[in-house]
This record gives sequence, structure tokens and C-alpha cells, in this order.
Amino acid sequence: MIRFENVTKAFKQNEVIKNLSFEIQDGEMVVLVGPSGCGKTTTLKMINKLTSPTSGRILIDDQDIAKLDTVKLRRRIGYVIQKTGLFPHMTVKDNIEIILQIEGIDAAKREHITSEMMRIVGMDPEAYLYRYPSQLSGGQLQRIGVARAFASDPKIVLMDEPFSALDPITRAQLQSELVGLQTRLKKTVVFVTHDMDEAIKIADRICILDGGRIVQYDTPENILKNPANEYISDFVGRKRIWNIPELIRVRDIMLINPVSCTRNTTLSECAELLGANEINALPVTDGENRLIGIVYGADLQKQSDRTGLVGEIMKTEFPTTAPEKNLLEILGFIRERQLDFVPVVDEENRLIGLITSKNLMTVLSQQFVDTEGER
Amino acid sequence: MTEFFASFWNIREQILSLLLDHIHLTILSVGIAVLIGIPVGILISHSPRLAQPVLGMTNIVQAIPSLAMLGFLIPYLGIGTAPAIFCVVIYSLLPIVKNTCIGLNNIDPDTLEAAKGIGMTQGQVMGRVQLPLALPVIMAGIRIAAVNAVGFVTIAAFIGAGGLGYLVYSGIQTSNTYLILSGAIPACILALVVDFVVGFLEKIVTPVNLINPTIDMNKEKVRRHKRKRWIVSAGALAVMAAIIIGSVAPINKAEGKVIHVGSKNFTEQLILGNIYADLIEDKTDIKVVRDLNLGSTDICYNALKSRHVDMYVEYTGTAYGSLLNQGSSTDKKHIYSTVKELMAKQGIEVLDPIGFNNSFVLAVRQDTADKYRLNNISDLEKASSQLIFSPTIEFNNRKDGITALYDAYNLKFKGTSPIEGGLGYTAIASKKCDVLTAYSTDGLLKTYQLKVLEDDKNALLSYYAIPMINESVLLEYPELKDVIDLMTGLLDDESMRNLNYLVDQEGQSPEDVALNFLKSKGLL
Repeated sequence: MIRFENVTKAFKQNEVIKNLSFEIQDGEMVVLVGPSGCGKTTTLKMINKLTSPTSGRILIDDQDIAKLDTVKLRRRIGYVIQKTGLFPHMTVKDNIEIILQIEGIDAAKREHITSEMMRIVGMDPEAYLYRYPSQLSGGQLQRIGVARAFASDPKIVLMDEPFSALDPITRAQLQSELVGLQTRLKKTVVFVTHDMDEAIKIADRICILDGGRIVQYDTPENILKNPANEYISDFVGRKRIWNIPELIRVRDIMLINPVSCTRNTTLSECAELLGANEINALPVTDGENRLIGIVYGADLQKQSDRTGLVGEIMKTEFPTTAPEKNLLEILGFIRERQLDFVPVVDEENRLIGLITSKNLMTVLSQQFVDTEGER
Repeated sequence: MTEFFASFWNIREQILSLLLDHIHLTILSVGIAVLIGIPVGILISHSPRLAQPVLGMTNIVQAIPSLAMLGFLIPYLGIGTAPAIFCVVIYSLLPIVKNTCIGLNNIDPDTLEAAKGIGMTQGQVMGRVQLPLALPVIMAGIRIAAVNAVGFVTIAAFIGAGGLGYLVYSGIQTSNTYLILSGAIPACILALVVDFVVGFLEKIVTPVNLINPTIDMNKEKVRRHKRKRWIVSAGALAVMAAIIIGSVAPINKAEGKVIHVGSKNFTEQLILGNIYADLIEDKTDIKVVRDLNLGSTDICYNALKSRHVDMYVEYTGTAYGSLLNQGSSTDKKHIYSTVKELMAKQGIEVLDPIGFNNSFVLAVRQDTADKYRLNNISDLEKASSQLIFSPTIEFNNRKDGITALYDAYNLKFKGTSPIEGGLGYTAIASKKCDVLTAYSTDGLLKTYQLKVLEDDKNALLSYYAIPMINESVLLEYPELKDVIDLMTGLLDDESMRNLNYLVDQEGQSPEDVALNFLKSKGLL
């Protein structure tokens, strides 16, 4: 666990980090994100003591790093930077092994680790071990950079905009691989980027910095849905969420407090409700708001006698959905079943909302048409 | 051409030994410069505030003329190899310090930060990342320094350090082109060889992909490359260390009775130096170190004062006007007694004159003399506006030289181009100049059949040769006085000029001429 306690960093008179306190849990991938000059890289570099705080403490596993041996500390922390920081005069093998060599690990063991690391980052050891950095592409360089960072099996890996110089396709590929790698190896990863899409894609938690302060520190989903303030919604972008439809939940788009009727509602009352709300089906609930059936407008039409009760014609076999389902799932569901009306129920089958084709249309149109007057 | 090869072949052993001296001095100096320069370069690369003044200083040092530097160093370091090495080291520092600093500073800061960030100590960053990456630039600096050093070492002959420069200067003094070439050609070839060897080292120690970025390596090749680098670097370092250590040892002064006999760098002085050395060796049990062929009067005098040389032959006029700043006088006796008295105050004993008066004279070609009817310097007054004057550089700077001459005679030359030593004879023979300053005992006057113009107004000082010796040496070895006095009155102008002629024209060595002279006089 990495903990910042009231950390301040000033360069001369200029405070770039202002009283920063936060925690990073073991095995978590935390992305520090913000505009340039927000202090994200400075924050990262304080973890491996490339810069030291002006005041405050940084603790790793409850030990104040100021009191730890700098070199030993850094060898326990992997470090990847944007321009890879690979040593141009060394082969790929020597680059990955450098710290192992310095620590006096024997050659056979080093070779084993290096080959293993290369495979983990998707590089063929046979083909690349004896190449030089100048002979590799940008993506390959970053893979080697990652391999070097992981080679000494550190608990913590720091990554400073490692992918920002890559082309979009390679970048996306490496992002996915990093997520896979992290899930497998369970490292604590602190990742700095200015790219919000990247942050959302890979982060367990995102820490948004501005002017040396944390503006919001939360999961990508919460940041997208509940930006802490205007700054974040601006930074995140109001329409950003449409890039990640997986994060849009049924709960977020359903009609809440939907009209409903009971088993004992008369058919004429029911027809009135349908007409007034311009809907063609109505959920039927019991006294505890549990969904017990649906009355379809089409079935109602067939009844000449409108004095009967809903209970007589309601359908008890019908599709429902849960509030945690995401937008893609509900769209697929609706398309597959040719539905235009899906009640949303919680685990206890209580009716909490409705998805209708009309309401879906309104929601989806938001990404193209601003309904609230913003850009 | 064949003549050149013949003369070259005749002195092949001397050339070889001077060449070895030269190589030794070069490697030693560059080695020391590397040992100092690289750490200094590393230091200033860490501190830009220090870099400015240090680089500025090495630049200034670089601009000091090497002869001035040598002259300045004699009181402190004496003569011989020590000041020569010091001088070459100083001149070699700039390219090494500068390139080390530039090489280190030009490394991508991201690479360095990564090196620190992954947990290398400062020493590991320097040794494994910075130096290897800066190596091509550093080696280029060493290469420049080494090639320059071969050139600088030739100047070392000026202060008796030996090396191929000895042949070059001897050749210049005696107007012997073959001798100049015998020194210059091996020096040039040595420079090329040094360039090649350091270039080879540079290539070997540079990480292979920095030379050839597309090189295709495999496990075996990488292993071989690393081994080769290791062997060559270790070998080069070992050679350098051996030479430096080997040189430190003999610096300890030889035990027992030793006297250092010096001389200036022209034929007469070389002959006289050898004469006294031979005499002392023959008549006493004192061991003689011959510090002959020292660059100039100043160098000899400073070396004598600072006890790096125990004796050499000076001239009364030079001592009076130039070393003691007594102005000018035409009274021979007064000059001698003043010099003897003032020198004694400095702990230098002036012994009795050898006999000949090697004063400055003006010389012209026979055709010039005929054309303007020149017999003495006064005759030159009318003709001077038609003629180009080439005094020696020393004459041109001396109060008792050019100033005294112009004060006494109304001379207005068409042009003045000072020229050093024997080169003047070549110049006047090829009509590049018309009036030359020469020494009255100069054998080359005879060789080139120049007309000597008489100093009819006695404007120039008299220059009687006088042995000067440190008082303390004389006290320590009282037997020396009698030995030195053996020469008193033994050489007049004519006989001195003849001895000079034997060397300058007949091509005999000063050593042989000295030996034969002593034998003919029955002194050996």
C-alpha cells in the first residue's frame, strides 16, 4: 500500500503539489490524470524518490520512504517512462537484465527470467534478445520497457505516460495487454497519463489532479457519472461516457416511478392510464410493489367488456431486466426479443423502473443532440 | 633523394632512439592527460557553473605559445622531460576535458532518469550508461589530443627532452634540410600511426551498435564483441599504466657525483657543451648529464639559476645587455668585470673567457656587396632602402641588438622579416632577403660565402664566450675549475668558425668535432 500524507512539493516558490493525501491499495491500478502542469508526474516521481517532497510523508507498506535506502527502494519498484528509457548501447537482453546483473544474479537464472519476461510482454526471445533498441519499433520498445520494469519482480510498478508516443492502434493493444498483465501478476501499478480515455480504459481508480490538488479520486464509472465538479465534467467531457457504453447502466437511463396498476384495477381505468401516458403496456404490481404481470394494450383492445379486472387478462410470462445491466446488453436484449417495453426489477422482484423504446431513443439521442444546452 | 636516404641511413640508430623517446613522451603525456582530463570532464559535466571557468581556462592555456610556456616553466620544473610532459599534458587537456563534458552532457536526460529510476547508484549510472554512451565523443577528444601531442613533443627538444624535434631543430640550426626531414618525416608518420591506433581503439571500445545501428547480432557475436572490447581496453590501459609507472621510477635523481652541462641550441654551443662534458668526464670522476640543445638563452639562464643545469657557456654581451639589463657598452673589460660581479651575486661563477668573440655581424650576399659597394655597416645606410633585412628573432628583440644598431646607424630597410637560426641562410641564398644578422663564428658564413660587414662604429656589444657555473657546484667539486680553465684562450674566432664549419658544412656531428678538437690539442 502506498500512502501520501499531506505531501507538498515546491520548486523554489512555486508549489506544484499542495497538501496531497491519498492511498493506493495493493494490486490496484491507479491512474493519475490531469492537464500538463497538474503535478501528476511529480507525484509519481516522489514514489521512487526521483524527487522528494518539500513536506509531508510518503509511506510504502507503512514505512516512510524518506528513511529507506533510495537505491534499494528503487530496485523494488519497476519504472517505465514515455521514451522507454532503454539504454541505446545495450542489447534488449542487457536492458532487461541490467538490475539483475548489478545484483549479481547468475547468468542462467537471468536468462530464464529475461526470456520469461519477453514472453509475458509478447515478444519472441529468440528473435529479439540480441537486438538493440534502435532496431525496434515504438511498440516493441515499450514492451521491452515493461519487461524491464517487471523483471526484478517488484511489487510496485510506476509508469509515466508510457504509451503516449505510440500510434493509436499500438497504444490500444498495449493498454489491453497491460490490463491483462496486471490482472495476472497483481502488481500495484501507478500510471500517469494526460489521456482520459486511457485512464478510463485501464484504471481501477482514477485520481484526477489539477493545480497540485486531487479533484476527484474514484472509479472510472463514478467519475464519469458523478463528476465532482464542473472542472471534472469539463475535463472528462460530458459526452465521454458514450465512448464506453458498458458504463451506462439500465439504472441510469430507465424511467423511474413508472405508472403501474394492480390486479384489481378495472380494464377501463387501465385503458385510461395507457392512453394518458402514451404507452402500450402497463406493469402490474402487488401491494408490496412486486411485479406480478403485465397488461398489454393489444390484449386490452380485444376486450369489449371494460368492466373486467386487469388480473384476468394480464400476462405473467414476460421479460424483465436488472438495473445493473448495461446499455449494450439492454439494447441487444430488446433487439433480440423484439421488445418495446421492459420493466426493471430488483433482486426481490420489486418494480423500480421501465425501459421503453421511446425512452431509449431519448437517451441515445443525447450523444448527438444536446438536451441541456451545453456544447 | 639518394643523398637523403644515405644521410637518413647514417643516423638511423639516433633516429630510432629519438623516435622511441618521442613515442614514450607522447604516450606518457596523453596518458596523464587522460587520467586528469576525464575525471575533470566528469566533474564539470555535473556542474555547469564549474564548466564555464574550467573550459575557459583550458582554452586560454591552449592559446599560450608553447615556447613561452616552456620558458615560463623552467624555474619551476627545470629542463628535460618533466616540463615537456607538463606542457604537452596541459595542451592535451582541452580536447579531452571538453569532449568528456560534451559527451556526457549530450546523453538523453530521459535515459539517465530511467537509469536512476530503476535503481542504479550514481557510480553505476556513470560506469554502465554515461561513459559507454559518451565514449565515442571522449575517444575522439583523446584522438585529437594524441595527434596534437606528437606535434607538441617535437617542441620538447627545445628544453632538452629529446624526441624527433631534436633532429628538426638541429637541422634548422645548421641549415641541414636532410636532418630536418629525418626528424619531420618520422614525426609525421608517427602522427598518422597514432591517429590510426587511437582510431582503432575508439572503434573497439565503442558499443557496436553506436557505430553500425543496423548490425545484426546474435548471442555468440555479442559475447565475442564484449570480450574483444574488454581485452583491448584492458590492454591499452595496461600499456599506459606500464609506461607511466616505468617513467615515475627513473625520475629519482641518479646517485653520486653528477654535473649537468647545458648548451643553447646552435652548433657552436653544442660543440662547446660536448667539449666541456668530454673534458669533465675524462679528467674527473664526476658523471656528466648532457642537457644540450636547449631552446634559447632564457631557457639556459633560467635553468642555471634554478640549478637544473650546473654550467653552460654564455657570451659577455648577452649576459651584460640581456640577462643583467645593463644597457650597452663598448668597453670589453668593463663588460666582463660587471658580468662577473653581478653573476656572483646570484651564486653564479663566471670563469675566464675562452677567447673568441662571437658578436653579431651583418652579412650580405657577395653580389649585393658588389652592387652597392658594401664593406662596413655605414656603407649600408644608403643602400638600405633597397634591401630586406632578416635579423634573428632574438636580435630583433634585444636592446643591444636591433635598438643599438638603429641608434648608431641610419638604416631604413625596405622590409624587415625576422627569421630563426639557420633558416636565414637558406632565405638569403634564395634571395628572399638581402641582409642577415649572423654570428661572427658562424661556419655557415663560410659555406654560403657571405660578405661580413664590419661594425665600424662599434655599436654592437662584444660577445666573448664565458663558461658560467653554479658556485655551489664549484664548491662541491673544486677540481672542476682547473678542468674548465683548460679551455681558456684556446679558441679564437677563426678556429671556432672552423669547428662550426665542420659541423654545418661537412656534416660531422658536434660530438665528433668536439672529440677530435680535444685530441688534436692533446687534452684527451
